[in-house]
Amino acid sequence: MTGAVRIVVDGHPIPYEAGDSVAVAVLRSGEHPHHGGTVCLAGDCGNCVAEVDGVTYVRTCQTPARPGLVVRRHPVVGAPQLQVPPQVDLTHPPLAPRIPVHRAEADVVVIGAGDSGTAAATKARRQGRRVTVLDAGDGMEVVAIYAGPTVIVRTPDGMLHIHARDVVVATGAAELQPVCPGNSLVGLVTARAAQQLHTAGVDLGVAVAIGSAPSGVPCTPVPGRLLRIEGDGTVSGVVTADDDGKGGERTTPCTTVILGLGRAARDGLSRMAKDLPVTVVGPAAEAFPLPACPTAGTVCPCSSVSVDDLESVWSRGFRELELVKRASLAGTGTCQGSVCLPYVRAFIAQRAGGIPDPFTARPASRQITLAEAAAGVHVDAFRRTPLHDEHIAMGARMDRFGGWWRPWHYGDHVAEYWAVREAVSLGDVSTLGKLVVSGADAVELLERLYPARVADIRVGRSRYALLLNERGHLIDDGMICREAESRFVLTFTSAGAENAEMWVRDWVETWGLRVHVMDRTMSLAAINVTGPLAGQLLERVGLATQPRFLQHVHGEVAGVPCHVMRLSFTGEVSFELHHSVDRSVELWRALMSHGRDLGIAPHGLQALQGLRLEKGNVIVGMDSELDSTPRRLGMDWAVKMEKADFLGRSALARTAELADDRRLVGLTMPGNAPTEGSPIWSEGEVVGHVASSFTSPVLGHAVMLGWLKRAPFPDRVEVDGRSASVVRPPFYDPDGIRARA
Amino acid sequence: MASVPALEALPGLRVVASPEALDAVAWDERAVVLRFAPDDAFAIGVTGIDITDEHAIVAEETGFVGAWLTVDEFTEHVIPHVEWPLPDARPALGQGFIAGVPAKLWLTGDRALLICAASYAHELAERLR
Repeated sequence: MTGAVRIVVDGHPIPYEAGDSVAVAVLRSGEHPHHGGTVCLAGDCGNCVAEVDGVTYVRTCQTPARPGLVVRRHPVVGAPQLQVPPQVDLTHPPLAPRIPVHRAEADVVVIGAGDSGTAAATKARRQGRRVTVLDAGDGMEVVAIYAGPTVIVRTPDGMLHIHARDVVVATGAAELQPVCPGNSLVGLVTARAAQQLHTAGVDLGVAVAIGSAPSGVPCTPVPGRLLRIEGDGTVSGVVTADDDGKGGERTTPCTTVILGLGRAARDGLSRMAKDLPVTVVGPAAEAFPLPACPTAGTVCPCSSVSVDDLESVWSRGFRELELVKRASLAGTGTCQGSVCLPYVRAFIAQRAGGIPDPFTARPASRQITLAEAAAGVHVDAFRRTPLHDEHIAMGARMDRFGGWWRPWHYGDHVAEYWAVREAVSLGDVSTLGKLVVSGADAVELLERLYPARVADIRVGRSRYALLLNERGHLIDDGMICREAESRFVLTFTSAGAENAEMWVRDWVETWGLRVHVMDRTMSLAAINVTGPLAGQLLERVGLATQPRFLQHVHGEVAGVPCHVMRLSFTGEVSFELHHSVDRSVELWRALMSHGRDLGIAPHGLQALQGLRLEKGNVIVGMDSELDSTPRRLGMDWAVKMEKADFLGRSALARTAELADDRRLVGLTMPGNAPTEGSPIWSEGEVVGHVASSFTSPVLGHAVMLGWLKRAPFPDRVEVDGRSASVVRPPFYDPDGIRARA
Repeated sequence: MASVPALEALPGLRVVASPEALDAVAWDERAVVLRFAPDDAFAIGVTGIDITDEHAIVAEETGFVGAWLTVDEFTEHVIPHVEWPLPDARPALGQGFIAGVPAKLWLTGDRALLICAASYAHELAERLR
């Protein structure tokens, strides 16, 4: 193969020999893969990284040369240009090629096939255990160990995730690189790299050895302490001094400096696997002596951190290793501290008097591409209601809310709004959380969970309730529907349903109550029939006995068994029809068909958010904040402090004594609604922000919910440069006559 | 093999009751009964039961879809997307993310039933394609 095959480096083809890595091929051609710095050829440093076939920061010493490989060296100064695909639509999958993920299991994973790794593997096999040995030299490079433990391996065929019972780290030791003036020149190699190059037939020129000289490599040993390396781009000589400091400096001319300065445990993987069943063996477990404290030169070649930079950081008070790392960026580059960590520890040890432990290691221990890091990672799965295709067919613009695809509008949200206010409209509320609780202690459970009274809810009746945490902060809201003496249906917000389910189950278990819980969120669909003609429509489709406000019944609607709940989020008469998901399309179509002459139209979330805002109905997470109490939300009416106890009660009693300096209020102003999130001003200062806003078609002005966070609360404020009045919601039908009609 | 067979509706009965009461239910021998939890069972194709727990929640369940897969189909299309160790016993129920979608597996000696909530069916089918 000699001379017959070539790789392309910076646009020039260069030949390589069988078995060459890209780095060796480049060095063989007389060039340096990274314009300078010590070459280790062991994957431990960033001094040979280059762009390979369009991927930057590739360690060329670990990349086998192959015909036609295109290498571009990184710029001498600055970072290489990252490849950014021309992607404009973020809703579509990334354009990068998908990296396959293979998964495997093993009793023992041994990382490193050297002497200690081989011994560990042999021992485990003798114990009858399934052993997998991974070695970077075979193309199986371990880049991370996660809990499990799970070992993440980069392979030529993609990523490999291995679940293991035990992991043995036998990764050996890395060679120390010099920290002194001139350590960025071309012509510096570690002792093992020199041996490798010599074996590969690469001419090292006039070579001198500092420290331990490699056996069999023609070179002149230079005794003494390394002071600096001289040269103009390329090494021309090395300057040393006797260890005792006597005898002055000595300059030895050369073109290559071979550095046998000692070793440091290659322990990045074991450091990221603390508290996991991971054993470290061989040199990786050894406590090698630290090098002498550096006095000049580049300490961290990856991040270009010099000894002067460390001095600066130290003088500014960063005295711990983790802080020195963060303040100087030493150890944050591509080699993750493999080169600089021994020197930074030595630097701190000399000043602080004790040797600091190595800093924390985190995945990935070796540079990997974003595609490799993301391999096997999925974007969140968004659910579809059974009416998804119906919405699409009706021209809905779908969007993601609370883990579901939901219709934002069907083309004209104002028309949808008027259908609700003046006729009848359908809304897909299948996404609501739905729990059934049943048991001898069901009432006890709900009395403890909710600040509302539960025991006096009669069968067939329902009640709106807040869900508070122990600190009295609102975490969700919904309805409590009593089905029988010991059985209830609870509803929750779409986005809060999963958390609410966990919340309920957790408390059932914590309190040891005799209650069964069944989550019906994804088993039942729900259609909200709302508007002044809603009752008329339901009569047409066979619901003879319609529940009154806050009542609920079971009955057939258009032949579909439904649990019908009478409530109102829109401010108009509303019936929620809960039914099996497999009957949803049939029910939707029947309602649309029978409501045609009543002016029926579906409404999306955009219209719904305006409708509910006119009523002052809060959306948890949109209008509420993480520490919103009922008092701050103006919802004290939903809390029965006279109850003996409920979650959050003691916190509410305590905070009731504190100053009332934060409140969700209603705001109105002429004209169009300002943007949600707009600051609220009073007397030249920001006193809050707008949480929700809507230009009300029926009222002819803007309505808002907003937070005032400074007492005393003003009656008038400024939003969007305009004057707004602070009012008490609801803005529309304040007596709730329409909803109860 | 082209792809995973289509996910079809799996109507059945969902029962949440005391573990003792569920253990005592005399299920139809042909029914596939999946114990999602000690107190939670999904009986595919079953329409009614007798159960001793007076507070049991028994509901018709149409919220799941599934597909029976051959060993080859399962090995080729599903296993690469399972991020957790499969149970060794047969039959066995496995539950967890498959291709990032919450799903369940009912593993028998020669077949596997892949199950997920109907609301996730499109996502799972697309990711296993």
